[in-house]
Amino acid sequence: MSISVIFPTKNRAHYVKRAVRTAFKAHRVEEVIVIDGGSMDDTIRIAEREGAKVIVQSDLIYPGKGIAMRDGAYLASCDILVYLDIDIRNMTPEFIEKLAEPIISGQAEFVKGCFERAAGRVTELVAKPLLRMFYPELAKFRQPLSGEIAGLRKLFYKVEFERGWGVDVGLLIDFYKLGARIMERDIGYKDHDMKPLHALTDMAYEVAAAIMRRAIRDQKVDPRWAEKYMSGVRAMDLGLESERGFV
Amino acid sequence: MRVLLIGGGHSAYFAARAIREIDPDGHLIIIEFTREKVEMLSRTFPSAEVLFQEIDRVEDYIKENSELLDAVIAATESDSLNLRYCRVARENAVPITVGILNNPLNYEIFKKEKINYIIDPYRVITIQLFEILGAPVNVIFSSLVNNLEIASVRILNEKLLHELRSALEKHDDVIAAFVSRTGEISSSPSSVSLGGSAYIMGPREKIEKLLQLSRNVVMR
Repeated sequence: MSISVIFPTKNRAHYVKRAVRTAFKAHRVEEVIVIDGGSMDDTIRIAEREGAKVIVQSDLIYPGKGIAMRDGAYLASCDILVYLDIDIRNMTPEFIEKLAEPIISGQAEFVKGCFERAAGRVTELVAKPLLRMFYPELAKFRQPLSGEIAGLRKLFYKVEFERGWGVDVGLLIDFYKLGARIMERDIGYKDHDMKPLHALTDMAYEVAAAIMRRAIRDQKVDPRWAEKYMSGVRAMDLGLESERGFV
Repeated sequence: MRVLLIGGGHSAYFAARAIREIDPDGHLIIIEFTREKVEMLSRTFPSAEVLFQEIDRVEDYIKENSELLDAVIAATESDSLNLRYCRVARENAVPITVGILNNPLNYEIFKKEKINYIIDPYRVITIQLFEILGAPVNVIFSSLVNNLEIASVRILNEKLLHELRSALEKHDDVIAAFVSRTGEISSSPSSVSLGGSAYIMGPREKIEKLLQLSRNVVMR
């Protein structure tokens, strides 16, 4: 089975060379794809020079991680897709091999990477409680928001990619609903930048929205009530809060 | 004409309308990936053949039907898919391959892949803002099929006016219309004055040369 490694990125020129080279060293990797979010630096040029396939994500929205991941899946041609953050300072080929191995051996069709560190704040305070509420079968995952994942390419064409930060938890739920065999794999220590607290508000909102949307879709919440409530939230986001307020 | 259009979003809708207008009796095949959109497209374009297809199967469809197709237009909401489908159409010698971009930043990437025709729907924003805000030089139309370009140049000083007049006298394949500051339109170079605009049309390389001249004058 062949592997496509996908890096969603933006303005990461100083990480891209090492990341692409490391990815190509991993066993079975036949293509490396860099999905750019509109970089102003040399990210694209360096990625191309290192032999990666490059495309700019179809929508330049913030954060747009989901759009980038979707475009990566659509450009890929190998059997297995492995997604990694490009700014992992201690990235090794083993990261990729560990993520892909359960799929190659037939144990799983979708693998979530987890790391030797405490899970993040959005994970503990938003994702896990909501998963426990609506998808208790997925509450066992240590790091449900991990962006290091692997899966069978053909299955990525059957799920819905959230546009922003909700994409990782959205994929986890969708693969679960698809009946795919899912497992979590410890891939060791990950050295990368943590987001500052103020940057987590949008992320938490998008993660919550991704879970809620699926809970509504899967009829775990009364869809009529939820639709009315969510349209109230959307209206407030747009500054159009109705006089009646929320239901 | 037998045209395969892939996609069911905004771009695909306008592409389908254009194809129908050009060739109402032609065979238009539309491929979409979601059943809801297939239904909607079937109602909107009743004479088109609208097919539900899996993302991964479209390339096989193009390969199997390439000899029957006059054109493939990739207009999905993902530039990755558009690139994939255009590439397969090109490799299988479909005469016309068109990629409609979602993100204009992908223009060069598509160009490197030697896609016949690349449409950037956002280009019009630049052109029209340049016109409204009075940019010194504006490429209004650059034909994808012929070597023809239309541009406008604002006459900002005597030197530019002089250069423009002499260039027009020299090249009989470059034609121009002049618009004065007060809006009168004329085809005579002698009628143009400072502050007006010249709309020039001709072979791309000659128009580009004139535009470069204008840019140099403006820079100075």
